Amino acid sequence: MRALAGWLWSAALLLILSFLVLYPVAMLLLGALTNTNPVVDGFGVYDISLKNFIAVLGNPNVLLALANSLIVCGGGTLLAVAIGLTFSWVVVRTDTPCKRFIAAASLIPLFVPPLVAAVAWSILASPKTGLLNTLLASIGITWRFNAYSMFGLIVIFGIYYAPYVYMFTASALRNMDPALEEAAEISGATPIKTLFTVTFPLIAPAIISGMLLSFVVMLGIYGIPAVLGTPADIPVLTTYIFKLTNWSPPLYSTAASVAIILMIVTGFLVFLQQRVVSGRSYITVAGKAFRPGVMRLGPWRWFTLALAVVYLVVVVVLPTLALIVAGFRKFLFIRSIASLFDMKQYSLIHFERLFDNPLALRSIVNTMEVGCITAVVGGIFAFAIGYTVNRTKARGRRGIDIISTIPVAIPGLVVGVAYLWAWIGLPGGLYGTIWILALAFIARFMPDTIKALSTSMLQIHRELEEAAWICGKSLLGTIRTIVLPLARPGVIAAMTLLFILAIRELGSSLFLYTSNTMVMAVLLLDYYEGGNVGITAAFSLVQTVLLAVLIGIAHLLSRGRTDSSSVGRAG
Amino acid sequence: MSAELIVSNLRKQFSVGRPAVDDVSFRIAAGEIVVLLGPSGCGKTTTLRCIAGLEQATSGSISIGPDLMSAPERGVQVPSRLRNIGMVFQSYAVWPHMTVKQNVAYPLRQRKVTRAEIDRRCAEVLELVGLAEYAARPVTQLSGGQMQRVALARALVYEPRLLLLDEPLSNLDAKLRLRLRDELRRIIKAAGVTALYVTHDQDEAVVLGDRIGVMQEGKLMQMSAPVDLYNRPENLFVANFTGVANFLKGELASAPGAVRLPTGDVLRIGAPPPGRAGDSVVVAVRPENIVLRPDGEAGEVANSFPARVIEGHFHGTQTTYAVETLGHRLEVIELGTVPRFNANDSIRVVIPPDLSWVFPQDAKSAVTPS
Ligand SMILES: Nc1ncnc2c1ncn2[C@@H]1O[C@H](COP(=O)(O)OP(=O)(O)OP(=O)(O)O)[C@@H](O)[C@H]1O
Ligand SMILES: [Mg+2]
Repeated sequence: MRALAGWLWSAALLLILSFLVLYPVAMLLLGALTNTNPVVDGFGVYDISLKNFIAVLGNPNVLLALANSLIVCGGGTLLAVAIGLTFSWVVVRTDTPCKRFIAAASLIPLFVPPLVAAVAWSILASPKTGLLNTLLASIGITWRFNAYSMFGLIVIFGIYYAPYVYMFTASALRNMDPALEEAAEISGATPIKTLFTVTFPLIAPAIISGMLLSFVVMLGIYGIPAVLGTPADIPVLTTYIFKLTNWSPPLYSTAASVAIILMIVTGFLVFLQQRVVSGRSYITVAGKAFRPGVMRLGPWRWFTLALAVVYLVVVVVLPTLALIVAGFRKFLFIRSIASLFDMKQYSLIHFERLFDNPLALRSIVNTMEVGCITAVVGGIFAFAIGYTVNRTKARGRRGIDIISTIPVAIPGLVVGVAYLWAWIGLPGGLYGTIWILALAFIARFMPDTIKALSTSMLQIHRELEEAAWICGKSLLGTIRTIVLPLARPGVIAAMTLLFILAIRELGSSLFLYTSNTMVMAVLLLDYYEGGNVGITAAFSLVQTVLLAVLIGIAHLLSRGRTDSSSVGRAG
Repeated sequence: MSAELIVSNLRKQFSVGRPAVDDVSFRIAAGEIVVLLGPSGCGKTTTLRCIAGLEQATSGSISIGPDLMSAPERGVQVPSRLRNIGMVFQSYAVWPHMTVKQNVAYPLRQRKVTRAEIDRRCAEVLELVGLAEYAARPVTQLSGGQMQRVALARALVYEPRLLLLDEPLSNLDAKLRLRLRDELRRIIKAAGVTALYVTHDQDEAVVLGDRIGVMQEGKLMQMSAPVDLYNRPENLFVANFTGVANFLKGELASAPGAVRLPTGDVLRIGAPPPGRAGDSVVVAVRPENIVLRPDGEAGEVANSFPARVIEGHFHGTQTTYAVETLGHRLEVIELGTVPRFNANDSIRVVIPPDLSWVFPQDAKSAVTPS
């Protein structure tokens, strides 16, 4: 009886997973192999051949987008490594003052939505009207910042994705026996020599996995290249895919092919990263707890502190100021510095105009609705999977585990294209409803949710469960009376995380929204592309404040256990 | 080219708590091995790290040979890498991303030594520590004991003036520890280097050290040859720490070298203690040095008192007794596989005057006898 119930349970989970993950991916593959259009030709009409896919591979536009993606993400990754490594070393290994502040500052960019960051930087550093350039002009410098360039893209990617490298390297440094460095010092090596011959080689696995992860995330980001790359005509894979679906008639099957290329590159890198993470690590554990071996920097410690302050200013303070100025100023044109402080120039007009548009309010309501559905349904489903995989001996739990991890290797934008292919042709289907967005988000963020839950599930001792079993509770009774109450803080935190991830998601929404189901991130991009800087900035501020409040709540709910890593992977 | 080490009035105060090292002074002659011994947290590692330059002393001075290494009051603080010392860490600290040879060659490569010379010296030192055939192995494929030898080879290869070792054997299993500690002394002596060795294991200290320094709460309580440490403890702490278990309170009698106990009995002491008649003192006697005799056995000896056996515990090659005498409960250890007495036997104990030590019993030195 119990065996049958367990079997049915696994079958149900597998069925739902197939519906959420396998079916869309299969449809994407199918789409890449046909040259039919599901909207025009109807669902189920396919003309399968490898020709389309091969044709796409030879298309110079695709190759250009691929090359741009690799250059931008590669450059961004190098910069991210430089920044992340520097700060992790400063925080873990030096006597720089205010280290807690620096540690926090190094993680903050994770919480900034990439689209908002990009919008803010376009306001700051667009070649003609950027605020920074106005500033330069007013003090007589002819050199100009240019965010609309390959270099601009690389810098923005590098500074906002440095936390990935930081997270990995900081914990590796923390786990490293300081005696390894001291031994080098005693052997006669200078501090710099020690850094390059001992410290960095020892944490190489962490550096590499941070690099791979940040590369993968950059590769899947749409917002930044859309905002900064498009004006300079620098297509990358993500923006190119979207452009394909926006042509008339839309080239859905070409988009699917490019999406497959993106997925393959991502999947390969994620695989590589998992190998590095699970591979042999050099971290040696000594018998005693380590004392923090900090390096006395002398006066240089003010320099390292200044670096952190500059970083925080660049990634958070300047962009926020730019949004505030642009959002509250009637006209962004600034003649002189003095006029920047002229209060007569400021008003709420952009906010009024933003909310005069019924679509704005609708998008906020829609976003909240999608967020709630995603959080509740996704949270419960992830809990069911996490519990089944980690805590039961149900049949097929290996399969459940594997399928539920697949989305790790699929960029959000590809999820969007896959869902598009899966549902657009089906009459009376999900397409055009809030639910398709929610389901796509649930699938996309499932690995992160399950991971967040598993950690809290592991904190519940097996014995507590077993005690309940022995007391005669059934499995469901045990879950209800023991596991759920104990896991509740974790579940609530995971749901909040899911909510936050869902409301800032852009990549997959792009392909799945309709005018009735417009969401905030997409509308923000629309405003930006419409060229109205004031409203764009105002809307960015609205979203930022909303997100800040939510993150604050999440932080309270998880009682300080910030799961910044999960916010991170999603970009 | 070993050199002497002179540490004078060394103090190290961390941001919190009492000083970790408190006014420690000692001198190690060139080529000598000195062991710092003491309970956990007494400041051994901190002393060593100050000498290595990994920790900056608060005050005092450290010189190696003719060179002043650290004197905070005079603003002298030579960085570790210029001190030309070798150090072996408790956690081995061999670099796992290098082979045995690369580990050992690393210090030489920092010193601009020619390639041929590097090869020659690596081969030599690996021979010395018995790892000649392992040169090409990654260190992660070595056992703990072998890693420790690599660490030792790395610390010796550039012929440092001074070798520092911080509990190098404590991560090894008991058997290996015994074997390696004898070998360690052989290798250090063969290299002829001055060595300062930190441990909390007395047996290790006795076997390895030419002299032993006992530390407590940051202070150096005594530094002397192992034999003297066990037979001429300078204070109650050292006596207690080296295993003296019997403490008899009394006061100095008027006759020189006599202590009157509260029971009225008088104990004779070999070396007349300093102080005046009437001073409160503690007499310390090792369990191994007390002699038990059957009651009524002939022969007149000093300090022979009637006693009663409370209990005896047979340990195979020795028997420990608790006996009641002089108003105290004394512990006695007798070697031999045949226990001689049973509980409640009436016997006599002899407390040898030459192996009893008298310490003043003032508030400071009144270490609670365990
Ligand atoms: N970095 C530090 N900051 C603050 N206090 C410290 C620091 N390092 C050591 N101490 C303190 O100094 C004292 C001596 O420490 P030390 O490591 O020298 O002891 P030890 O004799 O080596 O002990 P063990 O046998 O356990 O290794 C301890 O009370 C310790 O708590
Ligand atoms: Mg120590």
